[in-house]
Amino acid sequence: MKIDFTTVWTILQRNLSFFIAGVKWTCLFAFVGTLIGFIIGVVVGGIRAVNIEHTDRPFVRFVKKVLLLITRFYVWVFRGTPMMVQAVFIYYLFKPVFQWNSHSAGMVVISLNTGAYMAEIIRSGIQSIDGGQLEACKSIGMSFFQSLVYVIMPQAIKNAFPSIGNEFVVNIKDTSVLNVIAITELYFQTVSIAGSNFKYIETYFITACVYLFLTTVATTVLNYVEKKLDVAENSNRKMIVESH
Amino acid sequence: MDAILEVRDLKKDFISEKVLKGVSFAIHKNEKIAIIGTSGCGKSTTLRCINLLEYPTSGEILFHGKNILEMDNINQYRASVGMVFQNFNLFNNLTVLENCVLGQMKVLKRPREQAVEEAKKQLSKVGMLNYISQPVTKLSGGQKQRVAIARTLCMSPEVILFDEPTSALDPEMTGEVLEVIKQLAKDGMTMIIVTHEMKFAEGVADKVLFMDQGVIVEQGKPEEILENPKEERTRQFLRRFIEK
Repeated sequence: MKIDFTTVWTILQRNLSFFIAGVKWTCLFAFVGTLIGFIIGVVVGGIRAVNIEHTDRPFVRFVKKVLLLITRFYVWVFRGTPMMVQAVFIYYLFKPVFQWNSHSAGMVVISLNTGAYMAEIIRSGIQSIDGGQLEACKSIGMSFFQSLVYVIMPQAIKNAFPSIGNEFVVNIKDTSVLNVIAITELYFQTVSIAGSNFKYIETYFITACVYLFLTTVATTVLNYVEKKLDVAENSNRKMIVESH
Repeated sequence: MDAILEVRDLKKDFISEKVLKGVSFAIHKNEKIAIIGTSGCGKSTTLRCINLLEYPTSGEILFHGKNILEMDNINQYRASVGMVFQNFNLFNNLTVLENCVLGQMKVLKRPREQAVEEAKKQLSKVGMLNYISQPVTKLSGGQKQRVAIARTLCMSPEVILFDEPTSALDPEMTGEVLEVIKQLAKDGMTMIIVTHEMKFAEGVADKVLFMDQGVIVEQGKPEEILENPKEERTRQFLRRFIEK
């Protein structure tokens, strides 16, 4: 059991362009997937927080029920199956329809998968806001949609920021499963490189280091942003103390 | 003179109990009604039903003679009946000014400049004009409640419902809020106040309703109800209050 660091260095030099190409795709998939997943999550999570009100007209009530059912089904399916399975299934299922390549399919899969998790994160973020604010919105005549957009959602997103950021870190690692549909991300490249040089330990050592580097950078940036959000509040507090 | 609001035989059942067992009363323009009674007697539920935060099990709520339970646009009605909550329920993501501007722009469709002007006018009325750019999360309880009152006033309501507006406040902050409400009363605002502040009720109200176990036991001029009650239950309630 040992790692030969001379070999590590040689492998890195010989395959640098492949590693870089892999990192590029990994970052792109993780970033775009998280971003689109976040947008899906805000919409779906918002819908899942809808209450059916006594004052709703029958048609509104019907639409709400249908939307709730669809979103619940979506979250159930995408959180309940592995992304690897989703990738293969969706890629081949829609290939005759969209004539798409595996990279487009991969982008859709990671976005939909992330969206399902984000929806639950946003929903719990919404539930963490005390119900009184929603009542206040109602009492001045705002619709549920208005209350959500202007009052509830901004707070829910801010409260859920650590979990939202965590999805990005998770996605950096989880893009690796997309290798099943031949997406040339970091793990896919690693498999190819190790398959030709048979130096599994050294090749995967490099890959592990690269993943660790990427997730560390992402975590550091997210922590910084998180702190910034808090700093905004602290500076306000200072301002008030001064104005007294 | 026709009543602004009339409640007829209002009943509300929650799952395990009947909270309102047939409440009827009316409020006319410029009138101030105080509702008193023990906790759980249904006084808050009555207010919440009037604003449809709770949906009545049966009965009628007439606004200028029209039954609100049959109204098409409930939000327009809600905008003209203001509500001030025990826990303020300010929008925590917004500044003092924006709390007062939001409803005007989104519900009353006022242009921003007009909304800001109105907000400043109402905030100065409650003595909070110097705080307009501050986040509401940093205010004291009394300040929060004054902003909440200004937010309601901005909607130019015909009636304001106060749901125990000082119950969540420290004694030293109660005074500043009661002063604001007293001033509103002097200015001729129509209001229904649920309160435990008997002295305040006596000073402000034209009419006092005493509620117990989901019904109005007795109603009349404050001096009749508070000093010379006819019903035994009212006497018991007031006696306990004096002992405290």
